Amino acid sequence: MSANQYDAIVIGAGHNGLIGAAYLARAGKKVVVLERREVVGGAAVTEEIFPGYRFTEFSYVVSLLRPEIIRDLELPRHGLKILPLPSTVTPMDNGDYLAAWADHDQTRREIYRHSPRDAEAADEYSRVMARAAKAIKPVISLVPPDPSSMSPRDLMGLLKLGKYAKSLSEKELYRIAKLVTQSSADLLNEWFEFDPLKGTKSASGIIGTFLGPHSPGTAYVLLHHYMGEIDGAFRAWGFAKNGTGGVTAAIASSARALGVEIRTGASVRQVIVKGGRAAGVALENGDELRAKVVMSAADPKRSFLQFVESKHFPDEFTQQIRNFRVRGSSGKVNIALSELPNFTCLPGESPLHRGAISISPSMEYIERAYDEAKYGQYSKNPYIDIIIPSMIDRDMAPPGHHVMSCFVQYAPYDIEGGWDDAKRDAFGETVISTIERYAPNIRRAIVGKQVITPKDIERIAGITGGNIFHGELLLHQLFFLRPAAKWADFRTPLPGYYFGAAGAHPGGGVMGAAGKMAAQEVLKDWR
Amino acid sequence: MVDVIIIGAGLNGLVAANYMGKAGKKVLVLERRAIAGGQAVRESFGKDFQVDALHAGGQLRPDIVNDLGLELPTSISEPLISILPDGRQLRLTADADEQTLASIRGLSKRDAERWPEFVAFMTQASAFLDAAYRTPMPRLPHITLAEGWPLAQLALKLRRLGSKDMFRVIRAMPMSALELTEEWFESDAVRAAIASVAINGQTLGPMSAGTGYTLMHTWLNRGGPGHRRIEGGTGRIADALAAALKARGGDVRLSADVKNVIVEDQSARGVRLANGEEISAPIVVSAADPRHSLLDLVGAPELPPEFVWATQSIKMRGAVAKVHLLTDGSHGLPKGTLVIAPSIRYAERAYDAAKYGEMSTQPYLEITTAGRVVSLHFQFAPYTLRQGDWEQLRPVLERCAIDTAASAFPQLKATIRETRSLTPLDLEKTYGLTEGDLNHGQLILDQMFFMRPMPGWSNHKTPIDGFYLCGNGGHGGGGISGASGRNAARAVLNDVGKR
Repeated sequence: MSANQYDAIVIGAGHNGLIGAAYLARAGKKVVVLERREVVGGAAVTEEIFPGYRFTEFSYVVSLLRPEIIRDLELPRHGLKILPLPSTVTPMDNGDYLAAWADHDQTRREIYRHSPRDAEAADEYSRVMARAAKAIKPVISLVPPDPSSMSPRDLMGLLKLGKYAKSLSEKELYRIAKLVTQSSADLLNEWFEFDPLKGTKSASGIIGTFLGPHSPGTAYVLLHHYMGEIDGAFRAWGFAKNGTGGVTAAIASSARALGVEIRTGASVRQVIVKGGRAAGVALENGDELRAKVVMSAADPKRSFLQFVESKHFPDEFTQQIRNFRVRGSSGKVNIALSELPNFTCLPGESPLHRGAISISPSMEYIERAYDEAKYGQYSKNPYIDIIIPSMIDRDMAPPGHHVMSCFVQYAPYDIEGGWDDAKRDAFGETVISTIERYAPNIRRAIVGKQVITPKDIERIAGITGGNIFHGELLLHQLFFLRPAAKWADFRTPLPGYYFGAAGAHPGGGVMGAAGKMAAQEVLKDWR
Repeated sequence: MVDVIIIGAGLNGLVAANYMGKAGKKVLVLERRAIAGGQAVRESFGKDFQVDALHAGGQLRPDIVNDLGLELPTSISEPLISILPDGRQLRLTADADEQTLASIRGLSKRDAERWPEFVAFMTQASAFLDAAYRTPMPRLPHITLAEGWPLAQLALKLRRLGSKDMFRVIRAMPMSALELTEEWFESDAVRAAIASVAINGQTLGPMSAGTGYTLMHTWLNRGGPGHRRIEGGTGRIADALAAALKARGGDVRLSADVKNVIVEDQSARGVRLANGEEISAPIVVSAADPRHSLLDLVGAPELPPEFVWATQSIKMRGAVAKVHLLTDGSHGLPKGTLVIAPSIRYAERAYDAAKYGEMSTQPYLEITTAGRVVSLHFQFAPYTLRQGDWEQLRPVLERCAIDTAASAFPQLKATIRETRSLTPLDLEKTYGLTEGDLNHGQLILDQMFFMRPMPGWSNHKTPIDGFYLCGNGGHGGGGISGASGRNAARAVLNDVGKR
């Protein structure tokens, strides 16, 4: 076999690409992963942006990564270490705070302090959501069947789906049906009364979408985030040693150990088609690589509108991909700090610094933030999810200093007049001044800051539209409609060309399921 | 002694009554008001001031008209005419006639070319919805073969559209009207005009998920973008239904205010009127909204706690107000469904206000005329206000509605003789619509099909034996199509057959 001859080529060394490659290699295939950037990891990269300060540029927490993948690829042996985020604290405008601690009773007392009624409801709510998340898991790991097809495989899939539905109790079934269609505002209003609690919970319903808490469908996104699990424990969010880059580094190391070749600085220009089949890829530098199978882990737009000439796809398919919504809605501000932010609600160094700090005083606060975004402006009072990795992993910043990661919503990709440096700075300033309201010392503690807009996510991570899920988690972009009707089974209209990334079922959030499932479908078809 | 008592002489109640009368049941319909028709009532606000109070037009589903052999007044489908800021008028109809295409061409040549295909798609989509509304929605997941068969047929009907159109329809339902129209049209004015149909009567904006479905729903009920106007007013549908019921040996009693349903050991025994009179019947069917029917007429103590909770959780939240104007006749407004929703953002901003319990200051308006009378359908006017109450706001509402209409038709103001407004509170008090919701429960994705009016009760039954729901809150409900009344009647007769 010549140097550029492989069984399978995987485009993109993000976690999905690496996981897919690893599973193919596990099955004895000769696999190469091609990464456009000089670093491995896609959107899950840890980089030293300022000397001594290391950041996970884009994604920032780990939770959704499937446990079976962690086991199959022996990630702990390859350096995956997940450090728990023990708490979530929501500073309130009246100087008080709402906290959720790792300890259940402590959390219950905390909620009780604000609303006895909600403290009662909270336990039942968690049980219900956990049950719903468990109940919907089989669907997550199911290859979406094509309900319009008569092929045995699809009919089997539909049968499985029917069996699954029958296996649920009436209660579960309706609860899921409601959760999939409802707005998170309606869901939470049925359970709770305390605004900061509702605001903080509703936040998981909007992350990565271009919707507000009052938009139908956001309850599903909330549930999607509920599926996060660490060591099987539901809803425990974690932070990876060395940042999310630590996760992809571990996956890469595991993949290499399985014989996967990873080429960085290898930007794909086009997929080579021979005899109506994908036969390899041509790189920007002119090199050509051959393989029996090509699998793209890039976003749907790049995978189908850029890498492959449209003549190889039916117009109906191309049209669907054009209509696929990838509107980025969030930005990120990474800040290097000389001292910890001093939150007036919990002065000095306090437990809150070890967990997530959520700027989400109420659902209306977030809804109004959305209102601005839908008219093409970034939120003047944005939802911010803050974590301080250096508190959990001291190696992330110089001694005594800290790195702070702020996930910010909303920042529309299509901002009126388009993004430019001035707007980026103004956006960064908005985030700082918002945090300043709760932690007045933040400004003087700043050593350096990096502001990332959806445009930057597109430019740097190569995600079209800068949507962190490669495509919004909208009801009409889920399951057998993700990324396109009839092509939700990780195959594409071009034989030999597969698709395994966040833009495919079951969607993004560093869970890696798409990469794994795609690899399994590739192997099913292998002849 | 009657076989069936029906609470409420709205169209659903009267349709249900007729189906049961046709099946040989002795039916008595009790109406709280001194006039029949419910939402489809033709109201008199004074001399020469007769108006279709809530719906400027509408039609019963054709299959109902056939089943019941009704003699209905002729109805004509009118165009939807969107009034644009520059005074231009965008004319939309369900058939791609040259006048319509020319009007669209004025904004976008490309959109005009796409219009016929879009109409074809909408026709197909609403035909599917119509079939879905005729299909009983049984209780999941343990469906009997008898229940499963119609569902299988519906699924087959969907597949027979061919995969391309099948997915088109499925996809469109959870979409927002903006997302849907964006895929078809480039002109914002065209998108907004279509989106206005989607949000009409809903407390949703063009950017809300699920307005793809409400677009299909309203398109189905109207038979196109514009209203279907009935000669002599919508009230005549109710008249025809009442006459047909009498011919079938049934009766409608007006000014008969049902205070509560008489329940003995979990079964309906009859009703008690406000004046103390008791009327007994083995079957009681309520055409009122689910919340009023179950929590007020039956009462929480008679119902399982979880069911009560589910009933309380039904989202009503009406946000429609009406302002009727009696003019001197020289208003000079064109015929048709005149719409003021010039852009998607305009309509969405109008909705934003409702989210925060405020009245829209730049409302989405639907203007219709009937002789001297000009009727303004005003959105959004949320039932639940954050500040003040609707009596305080009434003058503000009237001024805002009239000014907005006058911005498009300056000559209108001078011709106004009398003004009569209906706030969401009036909708509740006068027409018995809880929270002023015309739909008896919002037409949102988590309150449709199997989940309407609430999960597990899409079969028009209730935990009370012999007590059924046939109003807009049921499957097929929303608008004045009578679909829910028809479905409920079938469910009742099906059960009675079993006895």
